Amino acid sequence: MISYRRVSLIYLKELVDILRDRRALAAMVIVPIVLYPLLMVGSVQAISVASSELRRQIVIGVDPTHHASFHELYHEHETHAALQPPSSLPDPPDEAPEERPEVLLREVRTDEMAQAVRDRLVHLGMVFRSLPSGDPLTSQYEIELIYDPELPRGRSAFDWLSDVLRDVARHRVEFRMSVLNVPIESLEPILLVERRITTPGSVLSLILPLILVLMTITGAIYPAIDLTAGERERGTLETLMVSPVPVMELIVGKFLVVTTVAVVGAALNLACVSATVYFGGFEQALSGREQSGGFPFGVLPVILLSLVPFAILFSAVLIAVCSFARTFKEAQNYITPVILAALIPGGIAALPTSELQGVLAVTPVANMVLLTRELLLGSPVPAGMIARVLISTTLYAAAAVAVAARIYGTESVVFSDSGSIRASFARRLIRPTERPSAALVTLVAALLFPLWYFVQVRLQSAGGAGVLDTLRLSAAALPICFVLLPLGVLWYWKANPAATLQISAPRPRHVLAAVLLGLALWVPVAEWTVLQGRLVGMAPGLAEQNRELMAVLNAAPIWQVVLYLGIVPGLCEELFFRGALLSGLRGSMRKWTAIVVTALVFAVFHFVFFHVPTKAVLGIVLGWLCWQSRSIWPAVLAHVLHNSVVALLPRVGDRLGMDLAELSTPAHLPIHILAPGLVIVAAGVLLARRPASRQAPG
Amino acid sequence: MSDGARAGGRARPVRTEPPRLDSPCPPLHTSAGMDMILAENLVKVFPSPDGSDKRAVDGLSFRVGPGEMYGLLGPNGAGKTTTLRMLSGLMAPSEGRAVLAGCDVAADARRVKRNIGFLTAHTGLYQRLSPRELLTFFAELHGLTAGDARQRVRHLVEWLQMDDFAELRCGGLSTGQRQRTNIARALVADPPILILDEPTLGLDVLSNRVILDFIVRERDVGKTVLLSTHYLHEAEVMCDRVGLLHKGRLVAEGTVQELLEQTGEPHLNEAFLRIVGESESVLPPAPAPAAPEGKPG
Repeated sequence: MISYRRVSLIYLKELVDILRDRRALAAMVIVPIVLYPLLMVGSVQAISVASSELRRQIVIGVDPTHHASFHELYHEHETHAALQPPSSLPDPPDEAPEERPEVLLREVRTDEMAQAVRDRLVHLGMVFRSLPSGDPLTSQYEIELIYDPELPRGRSAFDWLSDVLRDVARHRVEFRMSVLNVPIESLEPILLVERRITTPGSVLSLILPLILVLMTITGAIYPAIDLTAGERERGTLETLMVSPVPVMELIVGKFLVVTTVAVVGAALNLACVSATVYFGGFEQALSGREQSGGFPFGVLPVILLSLVPFAILFSAVLIAVCSFARTFKEAQNYITPVILAALIPGGIAALPTSELQGVLAVTPVANMVLLTRELLLGSPVPAGMIARVLISTTLYAAAAVAVAARIYGTESVVFSDSGSIRASFARRLIRPTERPSAALVTLVAALLFPLWYFVQVRLQSAGGAGVLDTLRLSAAALPICFVLLPLGVLWYWKANPAATLQISAPRPRHVLAAVLLGLALWVPVAEWTVLQGRLVGMAPGLAEQNRELMAVLNAAPIWQVVLYLGIVPGLCEELFFRGALLSGLRGSMRKWTAIVVTALVFAVFHFVFFHVPTKAVLGIVLGWLCWQSRSIWPAVLAHVLHNSVVALLPRVGDRLGMDLAELSTPAHLPIHILAPGLVIVAAGVLLARRPASRQAPG
Repeated sequence: MSDGARAGGRARPVRTEPPRLDSPCPPLHTSAGMDMILAENLVKVFPSPDGSDKRAVDGLSFRVGPGEMYGLLGPNGAGKTTTLRMLSGLMAPSEGRAVLAGCDVAADARRVKRNIGFLTAHTGLYQRLSPRELLTFFAELHGLTAGDARQRVRHLVEWLQMDDFAELRCGGLSTGQRQRTNIARALVADPPILILDEPTLGLDVLSNRVILDFIVRERDVGKTVLLSTHYLHEAEVMCDRVGLLHKGRLVAEGTVQELLEQTGEPHLNEAFLRIVGESESVLPPAPAPAAPEGKPG
């Protein structure tokens, strides 16, 4: 069991140690205070200068014989612009008046125009294919504009010149219509007015999350190396390991220090960036708006808060990676690919087209960058999505800490003379154990979380597949994810599968308890759902989904409903959650902590956050049943029965006097259902209260 | 410890009582006549992925009684450090078992660690902490309350005459000061067993003296001491019994006097060479040559 006193001792000692190190202070304080504001100011100015440069000077290639035509059109545009605004609408308040560029004409013969553009002698080539002649009411210019759209200056020149020509064309049309006495509106049944709105902070929202991610990482790197590889290099690791402190406590203490430094570093960076923006007058450049006040200072604390889970995750990953290293230098080498690996999803998330949904919502780094952006933009992010991001990040962080603890305690890490780290992970050298470690099962759960989420997303978005097909595919995926994958890991790490999964015959009274609980647990669960629905309301769309699901289930053959929703999930989920996960956690947690943690993980794996409390309660009952009976089978039986009963209830709901379809306005169960249900549950609990007398495996 | 075992002991310096904790460590299952340290057929294989396993310790068995000083002697690469690491719970044996005062190291390494003081010549100190901060930290890690830890550290600082440098950073201490800090760290929880791995390796004469005095004093107050060294004259002077380790195996064991009589040599150095020479001709070839001490991998 983790001793918080010892963890806090280690935390305080490591914090003092790190804060006394000039290099750590430099990485944590001086870099953010000096370097990043400088970088930001520099890049903002560079972007600003570059963008104004683009507009400032435009070089247009025109055949010498057509100079007069160009000047005629250009002066016509200038005259109109001086006399009246080009549009009947005033300039939008948040758009700047366009700056007039300096136009340079270069003489280029028409047949050499394309080559001149290619050679970048001109930004744009203007070729007059035909010139107007005769009747001013029918004559026409045919002009070809040659440019390279990949070149910013080429695009910029094209935009400017096509605006000019459109303006001249419009005025000429107006003139002709007035001569012909035709109202201009008859030519324009639709008057399209383009108005661009710059979302406040939109430019900032793309840059800032990535900058913050980088800043958080930078602050955490040095302490992570110093507290792991550095300790080993200085010879203090052996001293520490010979103290009566579990490795997990050492790692947690060190990890908390790295997290603290990362969060403080991020806060310092954020404060410095804000101060630079505020006092340096960069609000406009960053927010992309003309008026001041564009920089959303109000959301900075929210961003910092959302950065904490990221700091936790990255600190844990850095600690885990550095735990492999024997020297400071080696650790630095290991960290480089990790940062690159973090930047790839971060970069993808920073693309304007990326959204906080699908697999990106559970992809480390990407989900945090996207969440920060959404918060920065003030977009309404559903609570379920925030929970998904935070829970997945926390789960990955827990796995990284567990892995770090597993590696840190390895002999080859503590003693530089004890063989290679690769040898510690070679299967033939792994000693058989009765049950897997908490670190191993946490890692499996963390890997399964995004995998199962991905499977669910793919199944639901599979075009053309009906609800029953989705259930069928889900039932096929369950044994692979929750049984075969964990079994493979148990095999590799030589854990005894029978002991781990608690494959042993249960006592009859526990079987009876499982039957009673499985048949009647839906009663308190339904009542809880009613209470919860009244307290916090239903998630939008959930009732509709329920109704659709019930309609399909009522029409499907009973055996299919029981197989897809009862037997397969009941068996597979129990083998993983109450089998592998609970077995692994019981080695390092107290009874109820292990049961509750398992139940919470079980609940979040269902991805419907409205149901998390009910699933967690179900998980606690199943975990307790498994613990009491020292066998997986009562939990499997109760789970299968519970799922089957819930799936089949709509068929008999009418006869029982219940309207189960109306979950959006849930009603309490009738007393003739509620009372017997609660009595049966109580009987089941009483029966299972006495634990199985034989010794638990291991 | 039997009188016979003590017979090999030599004249001891004047006893100076080190400070003791009122209630040091949670008591182990000790009883009269019980071995404080028991190694049973210990084997340590250092594996490598290419399959060339190295047996650094190869079926080692010995026992140390309460209040006894036992010397584990051998050249570099004999397996002394690995043995001591297995006994102190830092490494898991590949085979066999280690029991300290009735507590199996594999079953409850933390409990064993609470009851041992572990010291090597290479033990590092936290450079940015002062000796007082470092000692307080380790005292509290061993379960002492903050008040008890402060008091204990005050006593140790006084006893080991560390007042002059107790508040300086460890990074700036001299070798002798660092050694005294390390001794204080090993004694911070007043453990009944001391495991000392080459504690005088590479030290100058003065620092060497400090360490040897400390070891003798601790033995004199009844602590069980397991000392590993390749300086045989140190063992000759201080140890009640010695075990000679060669290529991971115990080739001879007894009091210094017994080993000298057995070999007919005047000094332990010569006795050791003779025993090793004999064992080379008797022992079957080891499956793989033991790696040099400190570099088995």
